[in-house]
Amino acid sequence: MNTFFMAIRNLQKNFSFYSLYLISVAFVITVFFAFTSFSVNTVMLEKISADGRVETMCTVISVFLMIFVLFYMTYSNRFFLRRRTKELGIYALMGYRKAAILSLFTFENILVCFGASLVGIICGAFAHKGIVFLISELLNLGIDNSQIQLFNLNAIIKSAGFVFVVIFILVISNSRFLYKTSLMNLVRYEKKAEKKMKFHKISAILGFAMMLVGYLLALNILTGSQSLWITIGFYQMGLLTMFIVVVGTVLFIASFLPFIIQMSKRKKAKFYTSTKIVTTPNFIYRIRSNAKTLIMLTLLSAGVLTISAVMAISLYYPIATVARIAPSEIEFRLENNIRMEDIENIISDYGFNNNDVSLLTTDIYKVKASADSLPIEYSLGASNDKKSNKVIREAGFECISFSQYKTLLEAQGKTKVLQELAPLNDDEVILMKYQPSDNTKEIGNQYTLNLNGLEKCVIVKEVSLNNAISFANSIGTLIVSDNLYLDIASTEQPFSTIVSLNGNSIKNNEDLYIALSNYLNDSPYLLGNSHRIKEIIFLSSSTFLLIGFLVVLFFIAVGSILYFNNISSVMESKSDYEILEKLGYTQKNLRKIIRKQILTFFSIPFLLGLIDCIFATMVYKTGLMQDLLENSLSQYIPVVIAIVITSIIYGIYYFVTVRACYKIALK
Amino acid sequence: MRTVLKVKDITKIYSKGQKPSLDRVSFEVDEGEFIGIMGASGSGKTTLLNVLSTIDKATNGEVYINDVNLKSLNDTHSADFRRDNLGFIFQEYFLLDSLTIQENIAVPLTLQKLPPKKIESKIKSLAKRFGIDSQLGKYPNELSGGQRQRASAARAIVKNPSILFADEPTGALDSNSATELLHALSEANSELNTTILMVTHDPYAASFANRILIFKDGHIIQELHKTNKNRKIFYEQIVEEVSKLDTNR
Repeated sequence: MNTFFMAIRNLQKNFSFYSLYLISVAFVITVFFAFTSFSVNTVMLEKISADGRVETMCTVISVFLMIFVLFYMTYSNRFFLRRRTKELGIYALMGYRKAAILSLFTFENILVCFGASLVGIICGAFAHKGIVFLISELLNLGIDNSQIQLFNLNAIIKSAGFVFVVIFILVISNSRFLYKTSLMNLVRYEKKAEKKMKFHKISAILGFAMMLVGYLLALNILTGSQSLWITIGFYQMGLLTMFIVVVGTVLFIASFLPFIIQMSKRKKAKFYTSTKIVTTPNFIYRIRSNAKTLIMLTLLSAGVLTISAVMAISLYYPIATVARIAPSEIEFRLENNIRMEDIENIISDYGFNNNDVSLLTTDIYKVKASADSLPIEYSLGASNDKKSNKVIREAGFECISFSQYKTLLEAQGKTKVLQELAPLNDDEVILMKYQPSDNTKEIGNQYTLNLNGLEKCVIVKEVSLNNAISFANSIGTLIVSDNLYLDIASTEQPFSTIVSLNGNSIKNNEDLYIALSNYLNDSPYLLGNSHRIKEIIFLSSSTFLLIGFLVVLFFIAVGSILYFNNISSVMESKSDYEILEKLGYTQKNLRKIIRKQILTFFSIPFLLGLIDCIFATMVYKTGLMQDLLENSLSQYIPVVIAIVITSIIYGIYYFVTVRACYKIALK
Repeated sequence: MRTVLKVKDITKIYSKGQKPSLDRVSFEVDEGEFIGIMGASGSGKTTLLNVLSTIDKATNGEVYINDVNLKSLNDTHSADFRRDNLGFIFQEYFLLDSLTIQENIAVPLTLQKLPPKKIESKIKSLAKRFGIDSQLGKYPNELSGGQRQRASAARAIVKNPSILFADEPTGALDSNSATELLHALSEANSELNTTILMVTHDPYAASFANRILIFKDGHIIQELHKTNKNRKIFYEQIVEEVSKLDTNR
């Protein structure tokens, strides 16, 4: 029987065993091929990348992907090799040379990789088409899907080349394993008794303490300007915290967990139950050989969860802030050369129902003021740089009247804000804040408005984040009573006129926006709510798509490593279940034991990863994202959604693994 | 004396057209008896043990343990029945590698939901009897074969089973360890009144029993009684019968 024939027979015989390996490799290649097709798809890239940014990202991510695929393939290859050491021992005893065994494995690997590549390329091609279709629909790119090749030759060559490299590396890794292991070890490998676990109290406590310190350091970012993250530096602190948490995680899993489980044995009433007496020692026994895998899975999970959560929040947050950055559907500044009739014509040119569209003009008066402490918004953006001489913005309050404010809110459909709005006395004002901070501290402050020599004293009645005019057109906005507004207007303060367009029929209308933009000569004071949201989605979609490839791959890796690991441990302890059955354990008891064991191995990486993710997301949001929205729990909804989706995927993996283990262990 | 085990005309056929592994076998075992089952490979010993211990089901005939008909038990009930009535010792020890000896012996008692204090005191006293009291904190792979088999015997006896089934318990042991184990079993039999049914093809091991059933081709062909003979004479009788069996092959 020649080696090639034996390899085929082997695969046939162990089909169920290999099918999972084959499927997971095929999955990985599917993702890889879809990605490669995407990165060589010039039609697509031209549309979504104007400045080559996406191409650069593609290159970076493809390096990551390749490293990852390589890591995953060598890991699972080594895993299957270990499971077959006994078989290897038999070949060696029969007189096969190591070179012959190696070539047998190489043939097997080539067959598996070839099969997986075939499946992967076909699935990947369709996945790529699907992705292109989705993006082009989502971003309205108008790509003719038939223009895009299903099988891009370039991508096939790239993928096939990469698979060959992978096979080559697997051969090297296998030969290292074979030549390093003695015949004795090959025959006895699986039976090799595991070393007795030593419980190191110090490293256990250190592991727990380091994780705690890491999380406390992360929490420190919330203390504001005195936080270490600002005094020492964000990146220094980020690296330090990550280092402490990673080392802490390693010690936590390798020392702390077995230590507390060992301690838990002392609670005899809990320990001497038919389930615990099997699962507790089993956990300690298993973690000896699996600590490394668990640590790796935990870090991978933390990575997956954090990336998903950060991705979700970085897409959601900017979109949520658009409500403040561009509160009206369309808003622009009425400058000298602009005539309202032209604007009205443009709107009616696009066939809109004028009854539905509200066109409001607001005169904003700039007023100088004095006070013990003026709010930061008063002089925000005002340049004191004498050299440049170019003043971006004059310092001052920008006043609009209470009724104008109300009308704007009505037009913008902010009914909730309107309900809470109480009328103002003539000496009361509402201060619009730029960023949320401790807002109550400015309530009650007095400002003296200087109206061409006439001084008017006003008190801040409330501060608000519900600005009705965009920041591009007004910062340091004061809502004043209608009477005061008339007074201000009569003293001829400098003013600017803002036009706000609202209404359902002009929502999401890019053509109208472009027409207005052309008419206004690309004025920087033109803002569109839907336009801005579209822009954000357009700009970030390619980033998310590319990172999405990585996340999917992470999920496949984490899930299948967990699956393999649990299956192999159940296979190894199959005889244990037979013994327990003879001792009088019912199938139900045994299923419970299996479930518990698998659940522990699933929950450690998931829960630790989840905690890491929560802290990392918090640091990311506080440290790296601009803070424009009021801090409310609703901002974390996308994070929660990302976590829920991850949990569901984990849950599915868990059920599949449990079922497979039942099948193996129980009759 | 009370009858613990009643076997009535049991037949076991694995596949149609094949010779039955057990062919209308009947016998009874009283409480406190130490029975040896002997016979060549393929004579039906292990099949018998599997059927008696609810692991397998007979094709025909009936088995009663403590007047319970094994046929009437479904999967869950037969597990409960094993938990409450049966003890096992196997040639391969079948200890759980990940549990210490103490934990291994505790497993059947946790199934019976005994309180922890009682579990520990029971283990202690039995471990002394089997000479493994200093090994309780160790893992199976740190022990010698003999010690492991004694631990496994302790695990089987600790719950006071109605019958202890031993399948070639000395098969993997050296002669010293085998003797130690057999003495311990025989002591348990006489002092604790444990009923033992031991399958073996070693005449020396069999000589510790009070009564021996010799199997051939699924039948009991011979029954030997120790009565008042000392063990050595009984051993010689067994050897003689077994060699007769071999010459008649």
